[in-house]
Amino acid sequence: MDPKAQELAERIISGDETVAARVISMIEDGEEEGFLVLSTLYPRTGGAFKIGITGSPGAGKSSIIDRLAYLYGKSGKKIGIIAIDPTSVKSKGAFFGDRLRFKSAEKVEGVFIRSMAHRGFSGGISKAAFGAECVLDALGKDIIIVESVGVGQTELSIYLISDIVVTVFTPDFGDEIQLMKAGLLEIGDVVVMNKMDMPNAEEKAKDLIAYIGDLKKDAPPFIKCSAKKGEGIELLLEVLEEKRREKLGMRREKVKALLLTFIKEELSRGIEKMVEEDPKFNEILHSVQSGKIDPYSASVHFVSELLKDGKMEDYKWRRKG
Amino acid sequence: MEEKRIKVLIAKPGLDGHDRGAKVIALALKEAGMEVVYSGLHKTIDQIVNMAIQEDVDVIGLSIMSGAHIPLTRKLMEKLKEKGIQDKKVFVGGVIPSKDIKLLKEMGVEGVFPGGTPIDDVIEAIKASVKK
Ligand code: B12
Ligand SMILES: Nc1nc2c(ncn2[C@@H]2O[C@H](COP(=O)(O)OP(=O)(O)O)[C@@H](O)[C@H]2O)c(=O)[nH]1
Ligand SMILES: [Mg+2]
Repeated sequence: MDPKAQELAERIISGDETVAARVISMIEDGEEEGFLVLSTLYPRTGGAFKIGITGSPGAGKSSIIDRLAYLYGKSGKKIGIIAIDPTSVKSKGAFFGDRLRFKSAEKVEGVFIRSMAHRGFSGGISKAAFGAECVLDALGKDIIIVESVGVGQTELSIYLISDIVVTVFTPDFGDEIQLMKAGLLEIGDVVVMNKMDMPNAEEKAKDLIAYIGDLKKDAPPFIKCSAKKGEGIELLLEVLEEKRREKLGMRREKVKALLLTFIKEELSRGIEKMVEEDPKFNEILHSVQSGKIDPYSASVHFVSELLKDGKMEDYKWRRKG
Repeated sequence: MEEKRIKVLIAKPGLDGHDRGAKVIALALKEAGMEVVYSGLHKTIDQIVNMAIQEDVDVIGLSIMSGAHIPLTRKLMEKLKEKGIQDKKVFVGGVIPSKDIKLLKEMGVEGVFPGGTPIDDVIEAIKASVKK
């Protein structure tokens, strides 16, 4: 056991926020030390209830989280919030604008808020988000709320790192076709229609309930709320708590899918460079470039040759490509 | 994908409601490849320090147009020391008379950038301060 990692882990367990925050950064940056701490903490985690919030940008995810965290906090629960925003493809930078919405949550004792950039990871979260959840869990948080990037259909990963997922809609969601295209109806253990203070919201809520009813046999609970006015949030909290036990039963399945996702990612990252340096790759690439073979067949052929040769063994494991 | 990024908190302390400069700086730093947290308006120094801890930023940038830059910065520097996070680099921008720059630097501020500073200078200064 690494003594420094052990010490950092102990400080997190004793409630040291500065160390917790530092270790989350280490995990984000892929530092060895961070993963050592995480592996020490991991057996002590699992106590927190993890709530994921998804929905289009501007739907009111942050505003709902603010209200929800406040309510949970008032009932004596310790809250962790992880707000994920996109990384700019061009500059690799990010702007975090969620934090300034958490005005009432901020006033509650024991709230820890962390912004994270997705850094190119797929599925609407950052790769380090699960690690951050573990750190906050070990820090003693009872409820961990994760706000996803908010791009619809591709937000599958939020499922893997949450016990329950809330999808947020607004009365200006457009029409049924738009919803089908966005793929937003396929996800969500709980559906929320926010901004019910807007004109014709009731009508749009009825439409949305009808669409969901058509698509799904057992439609998820539907909650109308206004984060602006603070209405409907108590009901949301009640529903989340009601479903909690049933949802916790799915953790084993979710962690399996998460592990597979990480393995795929590690594998491809470790191998990509090796493949490029392989003379056989250049051969087959040339055949593709000169139009002799299509890239689908080429990839299948290349991988089957690789496995046949036992060449995989030569491909060294690499963390940093 | 996994590599060290510079993370910055752009904070607006006190009652000052001028947020244009803060937003301009925040977006420019993002374009320069940094991860930028914006505090929003009207934050207390305690709130700002708390944010800097939880976000684990490398740099805290105060944007102050109210004329209260001396007491606000002094309070920030004291709080950072109290919390044991003096390693965070502090920058100050906004309406800052040039006669005050020396005093701010004596308090431990890395760089002071009054209105009219080219943004590239700010980016260079932040990158250099995090490296050392
Ligand atoms: C636009 C403006 C307003 C707008 C603000 C709009 C907004 N949302 O921001 C409005 C009309 C609302 C306004 C109101 C007031 N204003 Co006014 N306002 C200005 C003005 C003309 C320009 C500010 C601006 O936006 N500049 C453009 C941005 C891009 O530049 P910047 O803010 O200077 O930022 C640059 C640098 O300073 C630096 N920077 C800024 N922050 C940071 C942070 C870091 C970390 C770094 C590295 C760099 C950095 O980089 C930026 C880009 O180069 C200034 C005059 C001036 N010359 O500054 C007065 C000024 C700031 N206002 C002033 C005053 C007095 C007021 C009022 C009190 C007026 C009144 N009596 O009602 C109110 C108060 C509002 C409030 N609640 O605080 C005074 C402040 C006096 C003082 N400090 O002693 C000024 C200086 C005018 C003056 N000469 O009297 N104002
Ligand atoms: N009218 C109305 N506006 C809201 C409501 N909830 C949030 N908003 C506003 O919608 C905008 C986006 O909110 P935000 O929480 O940042 O959305 P996010 O991008 O999904 O996190 C902000 O201007 C909020 O003030 C609501 O219930 N009613
Ligand atoms: Mg948000």
